[in-house]
Amino acid sequence: MGVVHGDLMTLNIGPQHPSTHGVLRLKVKTDGEIISEVEPIIGYLHRCFEKHCENVTYDQVIPYTDRCDYIAAMNNNFGYAVAVEELMEIKVPERVEYIRVIVAELNRIASHLLALGAFGLDVGAFTPFLYMFRDRERILDLFEVLCGARLLYNYIWVGGISHDFPPNFDSKIIEFLDYFEPKIDEYNNLLTFNKIFIERTADIGVLPPEIAISYGVSGPNLRGSGVTWDLRRDDPYSIYDKFDFNIVIGEGEMGTVGDCWDRYFVRMIEMKESVKIIRQALKTLPSGDVHQALPKKIRPPKGSIYKRTESPRGDLAYYIVSDGSPIPYRLKMRSPAFTSLSVLEEISSGWMMSDVLAILGSLDIVLGEIDR
Amino acid sequence: MSKYFRNIFETISTMMTGMGITWKHMMNIRKDNVTLQYPEERWPRPERDIGFDFSEYNIIRSRLQVDIDDCIGCMKCERACPVQCIKIVTTKSGAKGEDLPDINHTGITSSGTKKALIVSRFDIDMTECCYCNLCTYPCPEECIFMTGGPNSHKHPIDYEFSQYDRNDLIYKFAKDVEEEKLSKYLPQKEKAEV
Repeated sequence: MGVVHGDLMTLNIGPQHPSTHGVLRLKVKTDGEIISEVEPIIGYLHRCFEKHCENVTYDQVIPYTDRCDYIAAMNNNFGYAVAVEELMEIKVPERVEYIRVIVAELNRIASHLLALGAFGLDVGAFTPFLYMFRDRERILDLFEVLCGARLLYNYIWVGGISHDFPPNFDSKIIEFLDYFEPKIDEYNNLLTFNKIFIERTADIGVLPPEIAISYGVSGPNLRGSGVTWDLRRDDPYSIYDKFDFNIVIGEGEMGTVGDCWDRYFVRMIEMKESVKIIRQALKTLPSGDVHQALPKKIRPPKGSIYKRTESPRGDLAYYIVSDGSPIPYRLKMRSPAFTSLSVLEEISSGWMMSDVLAILGSLDIVLGEIDR
Repeated sequence: MSKYFRNIFETISTMMTGMGITWKHMMNIRKDNVTLQYPEERWPRPERDIGFDFSEYNIIRSRLQVDIDDCIGCMKCERACPVQCIKIVTTKSGAKGEDLPDINHTGITSSGTKKALIVSRFDIDMTECCYCNLCTYPCPEECIFMTGGPNSHKHPIDYEFSQYDRNDLIYKFAKDVEEEKLSKYLPQKEKAEV
């Protein structure tokens, strides 16, 4: 019996689709139910971030960085502030550094909770999503007490932070951490080790380390492929070199190294490591004035800087060119989610239609950051 | 064959573990309930006893409010706004620090600064506002702020301000004065243009 070759069918997923995590359009060519080609089409959420930054002053850029990766806005503020500070050679007080690390790690937990919950939602598990959002809500409440905003904080400024911790905020964080740590086991029982979930994700969408590196994938997606690469340890910025934490990598427990389950599980364990960092930081939180290094006028000298930081999605980098005026001459943002999305085509051909959404969910993309 | 049955067993047992968690949650539904019936009940707003001290500034992100009697028209907030949603027009008042009762102009702010400018227009377009709070920090008279929290004695918290018409979200804070009365105070050159 000969093989019958039919025409490929082109199918559009999105731009308005609950599983594409935003306004992403996937042009999928299918052969029966097998995917032969996936073409992500981006740009539906383009807001001219980089061009706009050339028209506003350095401190006015920070609300815009919030809106790039709106799931982890603290980390975006952090990366930008660190980059401008290095350009201006500002030394920020130690208390500021500690507070920045604490809020960034809290936001990393919130971001991973959303990623994991939405991933469960993509493969058909609705309940874990609610459990994870319940706990993410607590972090957002903490941030609301801290800076008044729940999602777009504008909290980490160049040379400092906008407010000090309110009274008794440390104990509130500790209270949350004590509440949160046992919940990770609950998620594991609910979703991670569920056989149906494992069948849907293990051995699916394997991303080999060579391909991941050649595409420039970073963050939990790269670590899921078994590469120990974390900027917090390998290129420490701020005060991350003072803390003791492990770099979680995927080990292929349920299937092959670098499958969807590994990428999922890396995020799960990374939350535990973040809790560890926050506990250490709170233990040694120094006192001091948080506004002491805030510059009166942000006017960096002529020159350029490329500074990378580890956001929940990977290497988030800012390239800033200054011509000595209070407005950036050029600002380029290297988005980790963009590189993660670019690898989708490589790893998803040959899989079933429903697996593509699982792979896309495991990459944890944020369209606000991809389109900028 | 044994793998086939093991698969079935694992599926059922892990499913039961998950169901156990949801069951436990269901038993404590009164205690663990996190949903709020919004219009009837509301979350408490974060409280913080804050004066207008820079280190403990207003941390509520809500509607912008301006005490126009305190405004000296320095335009610092307009310059700080990243989205240019604040529009201010000022004219020189002839007499510094004097009340001009015909246009409801107060000469001295509550902190004692003598005003040299008449603010004839102070519009904030809340549809454009990005709630970054950057405009409140540079204000020397602390007259622009987001409502609620520390200012709740001045203005009650106001986070439910949706409108049917977009134009209703443009808040005009300047005193409502007739054009002819104001034009008396405009400089000669501008008067010709008007």
